Amino acid sequence: MSAAGSLVDAVRSAVGEGSVSVVPGFGPVSVEVPAASWTTALQAARDAGATYADFLTAWDELEAGLVVVAHISTPDAADHVLLRTRVPSDDPVLATSIGIYRGLAWHERETHDLFGVRFSGHEPLEPLLVAPSLGLHPLRKDVVLASRAARPWPGEKEPGAESAPARRGGRRRTAPLGVPDGWVQEDA
Amino acid sequence: MSTSDGVPVRSRGVISLVEKNCTVCMLCARECPDWCIHIEGHTVTHPADEVHRRPRTENVLDRFAIDFSLCLYCGICIEVCPFDALHWSPEHSYAGAAIGELTQERDRLAGWEATAPAPADRDA
Amino acid sequence: MGAEVLIGLPGVVRPASATARVEVEVDGRALALTVVGAGLACCSVELMAAALRSQRAREAGILPVPAGTAGVDVLVVSGTCTDVLAPALRDLHASLPEGTPVLSFGACASSGGPYWDSYSVTKGVDQLVPVDVYVPGCPPRPEALVDGLRRLPGAAS
Repeated sequence: MSAAGSLVDAVRSAVGEGSVSVVPGFGPVSVEVPAASWTTALQAARDAGATYADFLTAWDELEAGLVVVAHISTPDAADHVLLRTRVPSDDPVLATSIGIYRGLAWHERETHDLFGVRFSGHEPLEPLLVAPSLGLHPLRKDVVLASRAARPWPGEKEPGAESAPARRGGRRRTAPLGVPDGWVQEDA
Repeated sequence: MSTSDGVPVRSRGVISLVEKNCTVCMLCARECPDWCIHIEGHTVTHPADEVHRRPRTENVLDRFAIDFSLCLYCGICIEVCPFDALHWSPEHSYAGAAIGELTQERDRLAGWEATAPAPADRDA
Repeated sequence: MGAEVLIGLPGVVRPASATARVEVEVDGRALALTVVGAGLACCSVELMAAALRSQRAREAGILPVPAGTAGVDVLVVSGTCTDVLAPALRDLHASLPEGTPVLSFGACASSGGPYWDSYSVTKGVDQLVPVDVYVPGCPPRPEALVDGLRRLPGAAS
């Protein structure tokens, strides 16, 4: 039976007080550790009683790199933590967690498929979801939904567009949500 | 409450259009996450006269079509319309033999308005 | 026109098979149509609802049991087809008797639906198999399935 917060303390003492930052927020505590201490942090949490690994995934923070996050908890869910770390976008390498939590194997394969994060020690990272022929990591923010940019947006037309072209800079959106600036072809 | 074939009267069968309410504001076409609403209109300018001292422009609806092969029946268009021109109708029999038959134009959309249930009486 | 309904679920290599039966009332007659349901995603839940409903009606004696003959009458593709799954769907169609009509059930099967912009979704199974009837919906009700089945070529005979 672990007291609330003891997972965070275990991670802190293993990684070093100065390297661990607790990210404020709702729900489970988010603890960020340096990428070099990833396995140390996971092992410390596991030794403190968190033997259940819920998921491992990532998200893209552009210039700030890719954030890899793992949700681990005690089996009774009394104490749980979101352990996260940051890897650079241009060379996203992280030590694998499968030596500590075997169940995260498929999660790492999915994270590799979708974001391109390479988990050293888990090679070969067999494709799980994305066909290798696709040739890109779809959930990275620099991968644009080309279909949305290519197809003309029905909301673009104003009534009487031929006689009164849409005003630029007005309050009305002239490009659909999610299409980055510069992707929509302006009418000549 | 059910329709004659046992379908709940408030089920999301199809989207119906009240043409006279539509001002061609384009909000539904813009907010549709699926880009399945196609609207075309033109402006008409009414010159000033004795009653209206200034010229007025009015939007006239030419085409209002919903491509139901894409529609995900989220209802965002119905919720966002400021003029209550769109309503849910429980009608569900509009399958087609070709994909183009699933795009319904304004006359059919308007025809389904008769099957749209009246709003719930909040005061009762 | 009466036959057994076969709900086929495409596996990775070969479609598995399970049977289900969907009755359609056409002009007061109860027709049992064989439906090979390629149950790919959420729409297949409505397909199962339709099949269960008619099975219960049959067990309750409300619908007569037609003198069924073995065979497949229609392939119902319900759900989102991804590009990775496309070959399995083609194989499923190829394994059925030639000329089996195909009914595309729901928005995803008809056009890719809400996922038309996805990198992984086939924008309509009509890119893979010839489709005879498209049923719109997300998901379509069992009643919409019945309406679609009624529109199949030859259903009225």
